[in-house]
Amino acid sequence: MALLPARCLRRVPVLPPASRALSGPRGGLPPPALPLSRRVAVVAVVGGFAGGTWLYFRSRKERELRERRQRELRALALGQGDFQLVDHLGLPRSKADFRGQWVLLYFGFTHCPDVCPEELEKLSRAVELLDGDSALPKVQPLFITVDPERDDVEAVARYVRDFHPRLLGLTGNAEKVREVSRAYRVYASAGPKDEDGDYIVDHTVIIYLLGPDGLFLDYYNRSKTAAKIAESVRRHIETYRPLLD
Amino acid sequence: MSAPTMEERKACWAARDEFWRCLDRHTEDAQRCEKLRRSFESLCPQQWVKHFDKRRDFLKYKEKLETEGFHPPETAGKH
Repeated sequence: MALLPARCLRRVPVLPPASRALSGPRGGLPPPALPLSRRVAVVAVVGGFAGGTWLYFRSRKERELRERRQRELRALALGQGDFQLVDHLGLPRSKADFRGQWVLLYFGFTHCPDVCPEELEKLSRAVELLDGDSALPKVQPLFITVDPERDDVEAVARYVRDFHPRLLGLTGNAEKVREVSRAYRVYASAGPKDEDGDYIVDHTVIIYLLGPDGLFLDYYNRSKTAAKIAESVRRHIETYRPLLD
Repeated sequence: MSAPTMEERKACWAARDEFWRCLDRHTEDAQRCEKLRRSFESLCPQQWVKHFDKRRDFLKYKEKLETEGFHPPETAGKH
């Protein structure tokens, strides 16, 4: 047995039973109580438990962050108060008409070079995605003009035709339209007119989500894709709890 | 003057994109892209042409920042 290390060949003194373990091949450790497969199983269970706990706390934290954000958005009380506008069919519409519905709202204008059509395409696509799930209530897409001087009922009707079939356009008296923009803190500023009297209205580009109680719940900027918006709206619908008494 | 329809918008965007592709090919040398420039100007409202020109300048500036980094102008910042 020339392959054995030298120390194994040395004569080991006979030790009292208590210290016999110290000179064993495992160098002092007690003999294994469980076979390897059992030890793996124990580690897996403990690991699983630790992982599960971590996931639970993380999802709880995410939920708390979401709820806090919702409380802050409600405290902001964006879009409070009524509005008196006219839809693209010429019918009067007030905020109350939309209670009970989930609304995705976009402010824009029909002479918009690119941003508004892109955002309305995206909004339409998000609504389409949500329409595909029959378990969810139908979301109402809404367009409100920031250019009431040019965007009369006819102009808005021509415009909304190109997007989702349920897209409703709202316009009205210039002062009333401006009130709604202010209520939603939408910045809108008409640029200089050229010889044709044409001008561009610089404005906030945001899609707002309103809950069935008429309150502002969330918002989506240019960078949010239709899929992300649909996912967020779905989550809001599924976790909705009316806050107003 | 009523707003462009969806078809008119798409025609304008297509002309703009063709013009911009030409500029990309000739590194912003507008002389080489005269024809496409005229087509772009005829298919888009004047306000949109100005808007897209500004957009182009901004995109080029952004690209420059991303590739070359920011060099503050020499005369900036009088203390």
